[in-house]
Amino acid sequence: MRRTWVCFGTLFIGVLVLFVWTLVSGPVDVSLHDLAVAVFNPDKAEPFHTKIFWELRFPRAMAALLAGASLSVSGLCLQTVFRNPLCGPYVLGISSGASLGVALALLAGFGFGAFGVLGAASIGAILVTQVVLVLASRFKNASVLLVAGLLVGYFVNALVNVLIAGANAESLQAYVSWGLGGFTRLTFGAIPGFMAASIVGLVLVLVSMRYLNVVRMGDDFARGLGVAVRRSRILVLLGSSILAGATTAYCGPVAFIGIAVPHLAFMVFRTTNHRILLPGVSLCGAFLALLAGLFPVSIPLNAVLSIVGVPVILYVLLRGNNRGGAL
Amino acid sequence: MSVILEAKALQFGYAAGKPFASSFDFALESGEVVALMGENGCGKSTLLKTFAGMLKPLGGHVTIADRDVHDREKGYTLLELSKQVTLMRMNMEAPDRMTVQEFVSLGRTPYAGVLDGRSAEDEAIIEQSMNLLDVQKYATRPVCELSDGERTRVYLAEAIAQSVNVFLLDEPNAFLDIPRSHALFRTLRSLAASRGMGIVVSTHSVEYALRYADRIMVIDGGELKVSAAGEAEASGILDWARAD
Repeated sequence: MRRTWVCFGTLFIGVLVLFVWTLVSGPVDVSLHDLAVAVFNPDKAEPFHTKIFWELRFPRAMAALLAGASLSVSGLCLQTVFRNPLCGPYVLGISSGASLGVALALLAGFGFGAFGVLGAASIGAILVTQVVLVLASRFKNASVLLVAGLLVGYFVNALVNVLIAGANAESLQAYVSWGLGGFTRLTFGAIPGFMAASIVGLVLVLVSMRYLNVVRMGDDFARGLGVAVRRSRILVLLGSSILAGATTAYCGPVAFIGIAVPHLAFMVFRTTNHRILLPGVSLCGAFLALLAGLFPVSIPLNAVLSIVGVPVILYVLLRGNNRGGAL
Repeated sequence: MSVILEAKALQFGYAAGKPFASSFDFALESGEVVALMGENGCGKSTLLKTFAGMLKPLGGHVTIADRDVHDREKGYTLLELSKQVTLMRMNMEAPDRMTVQEFVSLGRTPYAGVLDGRSAEDEAIIEQSMNLLDVQKYATRPVCELSDGERTRVYLAEAIAQSVNVFLLDEPNAFLDIPRSHALFRTLRSLAASRGMGIVVSTHSVEYALRYADRIMVIDGGELKVSAAGEAEASGILDWARAD
């Protein structure tokens, strides 16, 4: 118990430090003092500094924080519900759905009206999630669902490739830039939207806490403990897809975090209780995303996450495996 | 003694028109242990699932304290039912990563709020259940690392933590050695006596059934027969179990 609080405390401080670090670092040198003036005393600050802080630095830090936490929670829920350590928003095709929405907006010139590119990604993600939800209700077997998710992903990617083939150079560049993923795309005005979507997703997951804690033992066992299995399952999957869809919409496809952080959080907290794991993965995910976001903007985010993160996670998993199983 | 679980004109099975036994009445009293016996595939597990409200009967109905266990509108809701009855089965997959303490704690799920917290009272009941089955010493070990016998006792502790009135067990001594099997049945007897639980336990062991059960229930040749344990052999309901 005490160990858990120490872990929470350490992670929280870590996230806080990285958040502030993200605010003070960037291609343009602005001193800590100038930034503090820009935040707390905007009348006396240089407009240039205020602009950098509110329009670049703060949205970037918020994007990393929300994306890291959202993807991790989404990944944890998918892994728990499907009782499969390989599940994640990327694997189930949810991220591909978002790509299709963006491709339709950027490449095929569909307007999506007031929604814009970000709205298009959300709609795509939610649509693919609907398909996955229907498949999930048909297949009790998690492996079949994974295969189905991958197939849906392939199908959607093929559609995107068809759109790419017919696109002009300019829109293609915009699409490729979105497709690299990154925390710099979020604007100040979009923060409330991202935050609202994350909160809605998180609430849907939180009200299903009892389900998440017992579902590992199977549906019959869960029902025997008075848990409404069908309803909870739909709520959790809907919440997970909103979290993953919103992140993909605002930050582009971000791989790796959703599938890896739940394993990392388990190593840190050593529990299967989602009362601890959910805040745990949120902090771990935010920490990792903020850390990856500190690398120079010229290096694609997904490259940073994969090159730095994958060896670390593999090491953690292998070590855990020798001790009696991380999976 | 009062009746806690009652089956009226019950027909149970999976396929309509093909019940495992012809329609029967049965009443389980609180504080009594009933052994459920019969050959493989005779429907013991199916009957227990029907008693537990997990499987709708083909005919008739099952009530606990006069409320229907299958009708979610007029009878118990799922949550209310989980405070009345539990079915312990051994053929569950061992939970990965979960420790014994965490697993036993799942038994308090029906009493938890929406965020699945545990009160001090819950913690005391969890502790007590683990002590009763002598699994306290494994508390921090993962359930999947335990032997089958140890795991049986952990599953029992979880079911006891659920604090139900009707306790159904599906072949709990399948993996237990002889002293532990005796200990298990003694625990069931004392639970029935001290907490007034009604217990139905399926087993293949005639010896334990005769020694520890109040009554013996047999599914044989499409009929359900019940007899007091002392008269079971004389009444002939155990004839199918003879080797010759």
